[in-house]
Amino acid sequence: MIEAYIGLLIFWPLAAGLACLGLRGPGARSALVLATGAVLAAGAVGLATQTPLALNPAFLSCATALHVAQAAAFLFPAYFLFQGIREKHGLVMLFASAQLALAAYGEFGLPAPRAAQDAVFCDGLALALVLVASLVGSLISIFALPYMQRHEEHLHLKTSRQPQFFLILLAFLGLMNGLALAGDLRLFAAFFEGTTLCSYLLIGHDRTAEAKKSALRALWMNCMGGMFLHAGILLAQKQFGLAGIRELASPALWAGATLLPLALILVAACVKAAQLPFQAWLLGAMVAPTPVSALLHSSTMVKVGVFVCLRLAPVLEGTTTGRILTLAGALTFLGASALALGQSNAKKILAYSTAANLGLIIACAGIGTPTAIAAGVVLLVIHAVTKGLLFLCVGDMEQTVGSRDLEDLRGILAKTPLTALAASAGAMAMILPPLGMLAGKWAALEAASASPAAMVMLAVGSALGVVCWVRFSGTLMGGVAVGPQPAHASGLTSGPILALLAGAVGLGMAAPWLNALLLPAGQGSPLAGGWGLLPPLFATAMLAWIAGLKVLGRQSLQPLAAPYVGGLPQARPGSFVGALGRNWTLSEGNEYAPELFGEAKLTRLAGALAIALLLALVGGALI
Amino acid sequence: MNLNTFLLALAGLVLAPLLGGLAAGVDRVVTARLQSRLGPPLLQPFFDVGKLMSKAIAPASHWQGLFVRWALAASLASDVLLAAGGDVLMCFFVQAASASFVALGAFCGSSPYSKLGAQRELFQLLAYEPVFLVAILCMAKAAGGFDAFSIMAAQGPLLLRLPLVVPGLVFVVLVKLRKSPFDIAASHHMHQEVVRGVYTDYAGRDFALLELAHWADVTVVLWICSFLWATGPLQMLATGLAFLFAALIIDNISARLTWRTMLKRTAPLTLILATANLVWLYLE
Repeated sequence: MIEAYIGLLIFWPLAAGLACLGLRGPGARSALVLATGAVLAAGAVGLATQTPLALNPAFLSCATALHVAQAAAFLFPAYFLFQGIREKHGLVMLFASAQLALAAYGEFGLPAPRAAQDAVFCDGLALALVLVASLVGSLISIFALPYMQRHEEHLHLKTSRQPQFFLILLAFLGLMNGLALAGDLRLFAAFFEGTTLCSYLLIGHDRTAEAKKSALRALWMNCMGGMFLHAGILLAQKQFGLAGIRELASPALWAGATLLPLALILVAACVKAAQLPFQAWLLGAMVAPTPVSALLHSSTMVKVGVFVCLRLAPVLEGTTTGRILTLAGALTFLGASALALGQSNAKKILAYSTAANLGLIIACAGIGTPTAIAAGVVLLVIHAVTKGLLFLCVGDMEQTVGSRDLEDLRGILAKTPLTALAASAGAMAMILPPLGMLAGKWAALEAASASPAAMVMLAVGSALGVVCWVRFSGTLMGGVAVGPQPAHASGLTSGPILALLAGAVGLGMAAPWLNALLLPAGQGSPLAGGWGLLPPLFATAMLAWIAGLKVLGRQSLQPLAAPYVGGLPQARPGSFVGALGRNWTLSEGNEYAPELFGEAKLTRLAGALAIALLLALVGGALI
Repeated sequence: MNLNTFLLALAGLVLAPLLGGLAAGVDRVVTARLQSRLGPPLLQPFFDVGKLMSKAIAPASHWQGLFVRWALAASLASDVLLAAGGDVLMCFFVQAASASFVALGAFCGSSPYSKLGAQRELFQLLAYEPVFLVAILCMAKAAGGFDAFSIMAAQGPLLLRLPLVVPGLVFVVLVKLRKSPFDIAASHHMHQEVVRGVYTDYAGRDFALLELAHWADVTVVLWICSFLWATGPLQMLATGLAFLFAALIIDNISARLTWRTMLKRTAPLTLILATANLVWLYLE
């Protein structure tokens, strides 16, 4: 029974995507995407009831499956190389060839490794990734249905390219599930490369010059990541003759051995997770339609990177490699938060904030204690839901207003109240106690007590994040209302937004229990100390919520006071008669402090520091 | 939660705003004396708030009442956390949430001065939060625990091991008390360039509640400062008063800085000092 669930989780999305390609009608497509959502949700919940588990389902453990995975090690880089040659992109060619060479070496130069103990292996971490990919990913795919319709109307396409789009979108979800559950490194690597392929195709979907450029950038960076991953895997294979992820992630195996293979795999993970200095591919990804960026940022792709780090985290506890990884993660948290603060482009703010929060998770992985790992997994789940929500909201507002600049979204509360409020709530969920993101940050700060430098970077990054999100939320809610406009209302747009909003707040509140579930047994009651002080804070927050809403209800019936402008208000809103009888017109704008948070300068500085840390990560493991 | 913790929490809930109000009264008397005036009675802030409570004024935005309630709840919660011996780091985050709500309410206002104040409030947050956090990390490291009770139970005065966090904490107190040279987001007197900044659009009962939240904040900040000499309740009171007086004197002898100076000079300088102290604790 459980094998059937796993089969559905991995292969159903691919089958449904192929069916989308065959049945090109929008009705059939909607039905298929909705059905995929239902199947994935059922499968993920079914899997959750059986976790933890280790299985050898025939379709993943048989010789054919491994042969397919080995063939994939050649096929994906070969396709990337082909794309590189076609687009005359040197870096893609270089890294794809390197991947091919490594695959050939692994196939013909090394003895075949012992097969993994379990082809499928699901613990709390894997389940978290499956739930995120299946639930959040499905909601984003559903949101994509009306969105892509409007998107193509806007582009005036002759033949719809939605069938291909949904094929890749859905297949991506299946690949993510496979990646989360794979117990064998060869299978894992095949799924890993599959996500690179999907992201390349999705980012380039619109086929504009900018989309092509961004897609190729994502491709070369992730090809490089793939090269590091393969190099790490082959080194580990050479060292231990193993191919099982579970065996590889046990600290006992590494006692006294060099951590170089892990360091290489961690660099690959940092590329996937868009850590500094590799954040450029994720920023480029925002040229794609909103559902793509939502998917890449929240539930797929970048989560692969943090998943790998958290998977290897038990080995990293107390090692030099772990300490350097903590510093690298904290540096990205700091640098990307500062970069986010200087942006007025709402999608760039989200992108930098994604890199920052993933940095926080990677810092948790570097610390490697059970408490830190549990905090990292909680952050992974809650970040996926919250960031998915924020992306969908920004995408919806962008389609309404025609701009993604925060200054143009000022006062959007009056135009699309539901989306604007959901976005505001999402922004608040990123920073407010006692919700999960803040709780995770707090736990990470206390867990990082072995590394003062990391703690200080986390402290500064945290303040930067608070300012960024309060300003984001305040800008959406403030501003002069331009009169309500009837917004396009589709249940398929508001449904996913509301579901994600409920998830962001609900999961945020459930963080202490999630955390307790994730901590290994035998640690006593994890709720007694630490996260146990959150539930009383929830009670306070609920009381404040009720009191606040009562006042809101009362005040919203009252007439508003005339704005204080330091002069005589005029009949025309937004202007007044000031000193010397002059007429003044009001205009507002946020201060982005470019001299402090300028993108070019900060990117160079933080990028250089990050490269130094990653070199130290690999070099430190060599010694 | 045992009865003792509950009583302590209750005491924190009731006493903290009162202490903050008294601090505001002391502030006004001392400032008047420094300027050779007689000044109002000690309890004047309470009379002011009482009068504000009775006023019904049209709000500047529908959202302000909501954010004021949330700010008050967060400020009081941070006091309760500290009184019940909770985690000081979490207390800090809850207190920061209150400041965020005040800024959000100001963003929703209609006056340009309110919005200007909100922007500046955020830059103030950016300037003082890191150094405050690092100061708390220093205290936790020196005392060996993040909860208020272990910090208060530390061996000997922490000040002797944490001298370099003092400038940072004075900076925090100046910002939180909205005193010169860091009364950047909201001035005490409405004839100045930002009018009342972040407070411009709050009025009547909402403003009274916000004042209560401010008092609760002041108590939390001075309380955390008093951890530097926590060998007994009287010593803690004296340390808190020392920080208050230092802030009052600096207020009376300095003029307002711009947010750029605060963010480019004061914040990095105090942060570097506090970080140096943290590193030094690790090398001990």
